[in-house]
Amino acid sequence: MPKKPVALVVLDLLSLILVPLAMLIIIVYTPVEVVMGPVQKVFYFHISAAWAGMVCFILGAVGGAGYLLTRRIRWDWLSSAAIEVGLVFSIIAIFSGMIWARPIWNTWWVWDPRLTTTAIMTLIYLAYFILRAGVSTPEAQARLGAVFAILAALTVPLTFFSIRLFRTIHPVVIAPADGTGGAFSMSPRMLNTLLLSLLVFTVLLVDLVWRRVRLAQLEFEMTREVE
Amino acid sequence: MARMTFPPELLRIDVHGLVKRYHRHPVLNQLSLTINRGDFCLLVGDNGVGKTTLLRILAGLVRPSQGAVTLYGADGPSNPLVRREIGYVGHQPMVYQDLSAYENLLHSARLYPLENREARISQALQALGLVAHQHQPVRTLSRGLLQRLSLARATLHQPSILLFDEPYTSLDQEAAGFLDRFLQNWHRPDRIILLAAHRPQRLLTLASHVAWLKDGRIDVHIPVSALAESPELNSYLGEVT
Amino acid sequence: MKAIGAYLGVVWQILRKDIQVEWRGRQGLPVMLMFALMIVFLFNFALQLAPDVQAGLTSGLLWVSLAFASTLGLNRSISLERENNALDGLLLAPVDRSAIFFGKTLGNFCFTTLVGLLLLPVFSLFYGQNLLRAPLLLVILLGLAAYTSLGTLLSALSIQARTRDVLLPVLLYPLALPILIAAVEASRGVLAEQPLSEMSSWIYLLLAGVLIFNAAGLLFFETILED
Repeated sequence: MPKKPVALVVLDLLSLILVPLAMLIIIVYTPVEVVMGPVQKVFYFHISAAWAGMVCFILGAVGGAGYLLTRRIRWDWLSSAAIEVGLVFSIIAIFSGMIWARPIWNTWWVWDPRLTTTAIMTLIYLAYFILRAGVSTPEAQARLGAVFAILAALTVPLTFFSIRLFRTIHPVVIAPADGTGGAFSMSPRMLNTLLLSLLVFTVLLVDLVWRRVRLAQLEFEMTREVE
Repeated sequence: MARMTFPPELLRIDVHGLVKRYHRHPVLNQLSLTINRGDFCLLVGDNGVGKTTLLRILAGLVRPSQGAVTLYGADGPSNPLVRREIGYVGHQPMVYQDLSAYENLLHSARLYPLENREARISQALQALGLVAHQHQPVRTLSRGLLQRLSLARATLHQPSILLFDEPYTSLDQEAAGFLDRFLQNWHRPDRIILLAAHRPQRLLTLASHVAWLKDGRIDVHIPVSALAESPELNSYLGEVT
Repeated sequence: MKAIGAYLGVVWQILRKDIQVEWRGRQGLPVMLMFALMIVFLFNFALQLAPDVQAGLTSGLLWVSLAFASTLGLNRSISLERENNALDGLLLAPVDRSAIFFGKTLGNFCFTTLVGLLLLPVFSLFYGQNLLRAPLLLVILLGLAAYTSLGTLLSALSIQARTRDVLLPVLLYPLALPILIAAVEASRGVLAEQPLSEMSSWIYLLLAGVLIFNAAGLLFFETILED
């Protein structure tokens, strides 16, 4: 197993510092939203987790395409690692969304478009792993996984648009408050916090995917002796 | 009308550096093989060594992980037109149970597509002794008859290359004899036959060459007449019969 | 030109063969229809649907029945090729392998559409609505065109796995959701006597689905089957 690259060490340290820092900032520096109260602060990590999940899935499709074009197993490592990490981020997004929804709309689950889309995406990517688990050879896992990852990524805009056509009770994020339930406007401080959270989660995303790819590489190298 | 998109003189199976990987350890590992026009080559080797994989790659059914396979100079089985020249008889007969032998052949004829279908199908049915059974649903046919139907399907389009994957498995004496005669007739200077055999001894009188697949490669590839000079292969052939 | 003729010839022959086999007693169609009717009955009792049920519920029920029944058909269609390795026979044909995709998709489309058409008078009877309208037919055709092409692609994927039959629904339903949503919404609009122009977005979505999934079939079908 090659030594951990310096860049990865840096990312590890950055993640370890930035995540608690961001949490601190959210609690102390960011103002409390007038209508929803303190629970609104879940929103920053909720959006960031959803964003990270989305980026991961695109990365998964890119990895899949890379594998199909080059047939080099490294691309499959990237693809499956990204989807695995993306799955975790999506689940975080769903749960944080539920935590945010409960006090505001008095229900754990709202069948609103954005939350529903995230739930569907989670199901799709769970299906990805069920597919891989059902296939006998690593070659087939990589190849079929790649096709499914690309297909899945292609359907995400379809899902998004189909849902956008519905009325949503999920807050419209950056638009000015217009009275449609759940919307709120963001002060400059809130906006900065959101951007920071997005950055932090992006760093975290890269760190986790990279580490997961290394793990896949290690697993691969270990099978050499077993065969 | 003969569709000769490929000049027959170019006919040659050329395999270079073929690698096929399903798991970490490749099944075929830097395999190279050349089979010339007019050859009838027996492919021998232990069970699970990769004979089926090699044949399926040559037929275009499996994609290599690495390496080049060509059948007519620059073109290999990934070129759809080249597949017109390939006939493949695998472990399974590749037919539809609920259709009759005749209907299955008609289906095949339409896929290529072939001209003078009725005539060709008639001819094939006759040559393979299937006329009496041609309208029964395939699921009622015995193993021997199914084998013949496979042969009919594989040769209907008059391919130049015939690939066989252990065709003698579970054939009785009579059926085996029939297959012997079929192979003898089919073997001509402008064609190639590559036949994977589990018990190759009986075929040494028919074949022109033997290729031994071992450890992912072709270890030995010699004319039958030169077998005496390869004691290892000779004893291997003796063992597996 | 000859090449295109050969290609279309293969597509047509595969469709023809599927119809011939079905006619010969493969029992796919009756099973699908039976299943769809069972679902209608089941939902009727489970949800206690009154005879004067709204147009919205009818369209939802119609598409749920079709989606489930279609899965049966998709599984049967691909497993037909698995028996005796008939698929190899198709792969050996001297045309691009995407022809197999289009041939099988057409077959699946025809059978599912037939089930759909047979369901329309049944629904009309049960729920006192006239479902025999041209715009609804259009929606059904478009929706099924998108659904069966995605389904055919995924059935080829799932047949490579050990968990074959159960895998198809797991893969298909989450990816097909936008198509089903659009189909239900467009059907609902038609049954509520809205002009087609009102539902243009849904129609466009269905069209997008048809395009994307058939393009995916063109691109990926061979990769899925190449082993």
